[in-house]
Amino acid sequence: MYILGISCYYHDASAALLKDGRIVAAAEEERFTRKKHDNSFPINAIKYCLESQNITIKDVAHIGFYEKPFVKFERVLSQHLEMFPLSLKTFLSSTPSWINEKLRVVGIIKKRLKYKGDVLFIEHHLAHAASAFLVSPFKRATIFTVDGVGEWTTTAYGIGEGTSIHLIKEIKFPNSIGLLYSTITAYLGFTVNNSEYKVMGLSPYGTMDKNKNPYYAKLKKVVDIKEDGSFRFDMSYFIYHYADRMPSKKLCKLLDGPVRKPESEITQRHKDIAAALQLITEEILTKMLNYVYKATKCKNLVMSGGVALNSVYNGKILRNTPFKKIWIQPNASDGGTSIGVCSYIYHALLGHKRNFLMRDAYLGPEFSKQEIKEFLDKNKITYSELRGEKELIKKTVKLIYEGNVVGWFQGRMEWGPRALGARSILADAGNPDMKEILNLKVKHREKFRPFAPVVCVEDALKYFECDKPIPEAADFMLMVYPIRKKYHKIIPAVTHVDGSGRLQTVRRWQNPLYYKIIKEFGKLSGIPILINTSFNIRGEPIVCSPNDAYKCMMGTGIDYLVMDKFLIKREENPQDMWDSEVYAKD
Amino acid sequence: MNEIKKFSKGFAEGFKDFGNNISIIVNSVLLLIVYILGVGITSLIAKIFGKHFLEMKLSKKEKTYWSDLNLKKKPIEEYYRQF
Repeated sequence: MYILGISCYYHDASAALLKDGRIVAAAEEERFTRKKHDNSFPINAIKYCLESQNITIKDVAHIGFYEKPFVKFERVLSQHLEMFPLSLKTFLSSTPSWINEKLRVVGIIKKRLKYKGDVLFIEHHLAHAASAFLVSPFKRATIFTVDGVGEWTTTAYGIGEGTSIHLIKEIKFPNSIGLLYSTITAYLGFTVNNSEYKVMGLSPYGTMDKNKNPYYAKLKKVVDIKEDGSFRFDMSYFIYHYADRMPSKKLCKLLDGPVRKPESEITQRHKDIAAALQLITEEILTKMLNYVYKATKCKNLVMSGGVALNSVYNGKILRNTPFKKIWIQPNASDGGTSIGVCSYIYHALLGHKRNFLMRDAYLGPEFSKQEIKEFLDKNKITYSELRGEKELIKKTVKLIYEGNVVGWFQGRMEWGPRALGARSILADAGNPDMKEILNLKVKHREKFRPFAPVVCVEDALKYFECDKPIPEAADFMLMVYPIRKKYHKIIPAVTHVDGSGRLQTVRRWQNPLYYKIIKEFGKLSGIPILINTSFNIRGEPIVCSPNDAYKCMMGTGIDYLVMDKFLIKREENPQDMWDSEVYAKD
Repeated sequence: MNEIKKFSKGFAEGFKDFGNNISIIVNSVLLLIVYILGVGITSLIAKIFGKHFLEMKLSKKEKTYWSDLNLKKKPIEEYYRQF
């Protein structure tokens, strides 16, 4: 039985396909349309899912959608009713999209896919909960979902057992940790629903001492936090409930200045505000999780929702709460709900036993050696073919060790926002200049942002102060841990200003080739750690196809591209070179 | 011949833009009427009776802002509905 899950029309549209309980394909629409966070109907992602299994829409038994559109519309109408007449502008701008597509989901699905069956609508946070619990390693777990907003819910907790999910309590819109984080992201001049992780990365540059950071006390005025972590906002500091912007003038006054202009200088004040936001977010989440544990008494925790991508906080959860084990889906944000939808239909509604654990994130498209060769030949690209895995590993490791930046394109594309060794850029973490080289040559990104280390799981504890046992969420680059002090200068390119690293741990069976590259690099350099950063330029989605990868390399300073067994040197293909820097954006 | 084709293509595109602009204006006027008569009047009546649509009131007395959700499995027919 095939079940298709769809999420779209807010941000990060995606599709996932389940076959007899197993997620067999999943991808976000942005990877195909090349529009970052594309929210349009995921026709390309759906097409990929079906083609990957050689089936047509006629073979799909059920389609599920990731929210209840009418309930969400009720919330939007409530905002207009509450905020009349201030909401006039957003009413005029947003209502057509509700009338034309968001309230006509069934019609659109049937028309675009030529689908004749019924569509099931799963509540947004239930879809989040299912995406975290039903594919997790736990038979029983506390479920905690926290994002911007679904229909009404912004935060919820409950318990999952077997195939059933019960969400017990909620916090409702407009009170939302996700929207607080987005508001400050907007205030700091970054794009909402995109750059929240940048604010998280900026926070350690600010004062992380609550008593010394003046903006901690100021931001606390914005939110009333109860002992159980539940909270409400003083909405006079926000305008997102009626406008298409987020911080109010009152918030700007509180934070001693106007909204920062994008690309303008980041001052210590901005850094302190980012730090204060991270501190308050962590304070709320810790209080909440301690309360949630008291309510559920289950030491396994699964999390989902955009806030669950706050890897800095994730790395502190097991130390600050009674939870003993944690699992987070690699695509914890809205994009990941398509997996939740099809899992919920198959297991919870149709009553099938769970038979799938998401142990890796390689659910996207892959390209055969023949397809890649045809692409290279057709485009008259100069390349060499490496003989077998041994030579591939040896050559790649040598190139990285010699200080080259290597584009790494192998196997199925990752599911979720992180590159995990299928569409990655690899470089030497021990090279003190590598952060600058990568920023200058490839990523064109803000200097304050750290690069992530990748390490084989059995080596991680030597270099990082991880939880024991290391949570599987670290395999998806969702946990930040302190790097042991003696290695700060050994791996400077991945050591953040506070001595932490957002590591990816790799297990051999997840990706044997990637694992061997890291191990071999360790043998050569003495440090089995690489930089793993996403294969894209700033403002673009991660590459999906050989064409995307080649184009990205030729537009940046990536020195070599390894696609399957093919090695392409940038300098040998001068006719395709261009400068991506002019296109780099937030 | 090419010039005629070019002209008719340009004319068609211009006419399409004109149509789009007209529809934006008509939609905006209609939505404005709906906003004032529908949303506005309902909002005013609600305000007179003290009804609030969003949870925005801070309370020193309340010990928690958690509210009951109690969301669990329902009959499958419930999921065919968009509400």
